[in-house]
Amino acid sequence: MTITTIGTAVRLRAVSRIYGTGESAVTALDAVDVDIAPATFTAVMGPSGSGKSTLLHCAAGLDRPTSGEVTIDGVSLTGLSERALTKVRRARVGFVFQAFNLIPALSAEQNVALPLRLAGRRPAAGEVRAMLAEVGLADRARHRPSELSGGQQQRVAIARALVTRPAVLFADEPTGALDTTASREVLRLLRTAVDRHAQTVVMVTHDPYAAAHADRVLLLADGRVADVLDHPADAPEIAVRMARLEER
Amino acid sequence: MRLAWDMVRHRFAAFAGTFVAIALGVGVVAGATTLWASSQPQTPERLSATPVLVHSPSVGDNDDGYPEYRSWTIAEAAGLAGRLAALPGVTAAIPDPSFYVQRVVGGRPTGDPQTALAEGHAWSSAALGGYRLSAGAPPERPGEVTLAGQAPGSRVDVLTAHGPATWTVTGTTDGPGFYVADATAAALSAGVRLIGLTVSGDAESVAAAARSAVGTSGTVLSGAARDTLEPESVTRIRWLGAQLLIAMVSLGSFVAIFVVASTCALSAAQRRREIGLLRAVGATPGQVIRMMYAETLVVAVLGGTVGVPLGALAAPLLAPPLVAAGLEPAGFAVTWQPAALAGAFGLGIVVALTGVWTAARRSSRVPALDALRDAAIEHRAMTRPRWILGVLSVIAGAALLIALPALSTDAQSSAMMGAAMLLLIGAALLAPVVIAPLVRFTTWPWRRGATGMLVREGTLTGARRVASTAAPVLLTIGFAVLLTGTVSTISQSAGADAAADVPAALVAAPDGTPGLSDAAVAGQPGDSYLSSHLLVTVGGRTTRYGVAGTDGQEGVVLSRELADLPRRLDVRFPDGTTATLPVTAVRDDAPEAMLLPRDLVRRHDPGALTEAVLLDGPAVPATGLRVLTARAYVQLDIDEEGEIVQIFLAVLLALGVGYTGLAVANTLLMATAARREEYRALRLAGGGTSHVLRVTSGEALLAVVTGTLLGGTVAVFCLLAARRSIEEEIGQAIELVVPWGQNLGVALVCALVAVLAAGVPVLRARAGSM
Repeated sequence: MTITTIGTAVRLRAVSRIYGTGESAVTALDAVDVDIAPATFTAVMGPSGSGKSTLLHCAAGLDRPTSGEVTIDGVSLTGLSERALTKVRRARVGFVFQAFNLIPALSAEQNVALPLRLAGRRPAAGEVRAMLAEVGLADRARHRPSELSGGQQQRVAIARALVTRPAVLFADEPTGALDTTASREVLRLLRTAVDRHAQTVVMVTHDPYAAAHADRVLLLADGRVADVLDHPADAPEIAVRMARLEER
Repeated sequence: MRLAWDMVRHRFAAFAGTFVAIALGVGVVAGATTLWASSQPQTPERLSATPVLVHSPSVGDNDDGYPEYRSWTIAEAAGLAGRLAALPGVTAAIPDPSFYVQRVVGGRPTGDPQTALAEGHAWSSAALGGYRLSAGAPPERPGEVTLAGQAPGSRVDVLTAHGPATWTVTGTTDGPGFYVADATAAALSAGVRLIGLTVSGDAESVAAAARSAVGTSGTVLSGAARDTLEPESVTRIRWLGAQLLIAMVSLGSFVAIFVVASTCALSAAQRRREIGLLRAVGATPGQVIRMMYAETLVVAVLGGTVGVPLGALAAPLLAPPLVAAGLEPAGFAVTWQPAALAGAFGLGIVVALTGVWTAARRSSRVPALDALRDAAIEHRAMTRPRWILGVLSVIAGAALLIALPALSTDAQSSAMMGAAMLLLIGAALLAPVVIAPLVRFTTWPWRRGATGMLVREGTLTGARRVASTAAPVLLTIGFAVLLTGTVSTISQSAGADAAADVPAALVAAPDGTPGLSDAAVAGQPGDSYLSSHLLVTVGGRTTRYGVAGTDGQEGVVLSRELADLPRRLDVRFPDGTTATLPVTAVRDDAPEAMLLPRDLVRRHDPGALTEAVLLDGPAVPATGLRVLTARAYVQLDIDEEGEIVQIFLAVLLALGVGYTGLAVANTLLMATAARREEYRALRLAGGGTSHVLRVTSGEALLAVVTGTLLGGTVAVFCLLAARRSIEEEIGQAIELVVPWGQNLGVALVCALVAVLAAGVPVLRARAGSM
């Protein structure tokens, strides 16, 4: 147990999230225990309403669990003030959303530098450019989001999420709004981050093809972890397991 | 800061409302303060060549806080002048008596009646203004005069307190005024209040020597202190002007804060996702607040940069109309006032930051999770702080209104204004609560049509948005009803009041003159009173009382309010002489505080005039006299006051309506632009552009109706409370008059602006992508 704790990037213990009160209360997460190992790529899947987005929000400190404890990189989020929580997010967590990831007023470069600036740190010379180069957008540094394609915007978002070298990168349906080519590029970038830079990635998706890039797939149903696939062979296998889950 | 600049640059449309509000607000404040600062007391021109002036002593301050002066007698002044002339460095000490004289051309008095009261001077005092004789000789005998623009030997018709006269011009001078022989001036003037010293050498050392020579029998003025000799009529004009400028500045700032606050609130609501994203990538609540302050600061600096030159350039253009309206003295010129401009710039920043305050706090509480949500749903129309602030404002305002009768008369009008502002803010804050039932009620007849349904549901779900459109309308209508209602009610009741005081049906009144001369009064059938004043000293305290000189009485008759005064009064007349007069009676219906025998008043106040004659027979024609009905005579005063009040009203309403237009237009532009998606969906569902237009117009009108009803209600409450307190005070019922037509006009202007502002983005969108 102690060994796993130290070697855990994200740990959820008996995490429940209930929306509303009384009769209209909805249990989105029901006492979930999850451990995410460092330098792994985890996909979270499940039918809509299974609680996969809530799991991500709670694990990332965007939402507060009704009960249970979330630990990111050894720091417990329980009882943290909004300000302290923000600082944990800023230092240890990166985000990529499905859409509207970038501030429209800022150039690609400025968007990437944003987390550093918010942390009160002046980006080192070339730091931001190098990050953009890594996602293949060195030549788009001065472009505004409106001048970039959806796939390019998503790659800028990945660069921004990685620039602080976070303990975990959370991605919420990062390919949901993209075409196949752009999706493939985004997934390849995430995979590379895990393999080459030992980055921990947690991705919510409903796309078995996307999930096939992960080391591990968590299948959620009714707010609980219903199934776990380690090193899934391919997308069809995941799709079958998903379908089985939905039939239950 | 860099981030803020990029945000502002990118989304300038969202900040345009704030920008325009600040630019205009700063412009108004910069212009008004420049005018105000330019309007400083100045040494009268005809004394400008005199470095040291000695004024007669003050006998203490009057009720308005201004010093009350007594005159030297002619002999006193001559004696003092003689002593002053002997001081080293003094070349001459010249007493400066002045009296009423007015030029008559073609049987009609000319020039400004108030200025004419001190147009006559002694020839020796021409030196005080540095005026010289350019032709002819100085006046020596009664009936001789020296003035500008008339050749020696010509004759001029004039009017003095005695009556019409024809004077012979002995010489031509280069300064304004009528200069007569010193002895003649002494006979026509009520004492002397000023002695001018011409000096050789240092004026300040002469002033110091004069101070010790004069002691308590006068005040020595030199340098800038001479500016206090500005004529009272000019001071009053400047004071009136200052009232207007102060009102403009305070209303301008208040409305600007209001507009900025509502604009920022709306833009913050529209930027929830963006702020959520910032929070998600690591912005703390404090950073969000700082960013919004920084953005607003950038906009305020830009707005100020535009507004300051705007105000600085507009101020000189406004000077002539202000002079024409009698709100600044003739010859008023605008000067460069860097402090006023800097102050306006600073005020713009303070106003902007005050306005953004609540919006920034609200934004900082946006959860990071909002980045993931579609932001179109407005969460709650009312937040807890909004409830608390709204209810507190209403309670505070209502408490002020209830306490109104207990306050002093002076404090009442400002208390009512304060209460009105509090109630209007409260109403604006609580508007979302009222909107839902109001919308249900007003859209009831159209509930079956598609447009009716859309408007109804749109406004119900977007109560907050409707409230922010309604708020400026509420403010404008509230102030408009309040101001027009106050003014109309006051003038109505004042007219009735004053007419009741004028018993005779016909009145012989001054015509182009400050009062009636003795010649004009003589032979008129009816009662008249010679107006003057007395300084009465009781127990070491000196007070000025109005005096009416009348026929057929002995000693002093007191009005009922002064019944407590001693039976023998120590008085000082306008000509500086003192006497002890017996009180012979107390009267209830005295037209002035004190009544004195007419000839006594005339003897000690050669310049005294008669205000009017209450006729009981046909009037005898005379120069500077006309016959009016009592009502028309009273109406003259009211009209004169009314004219200035109308100017005030027009300026303030224009300011208010202008800002409302801006605020409404801005709110709707922003809201409609943000709802393009929604309208696109409506179009896809089969609605045409006209359909969309009907929906936007319907919503805009609904907001205007809401604002009008709320604003009107608040204002009427304030007026009723004010009426109650005044009725209690004067013990007489007052009819409340509200010019509804005028206010309806204001509401219609608001409605027009609102419909236009709501429609333009729809049409523009159609012309563009859709």
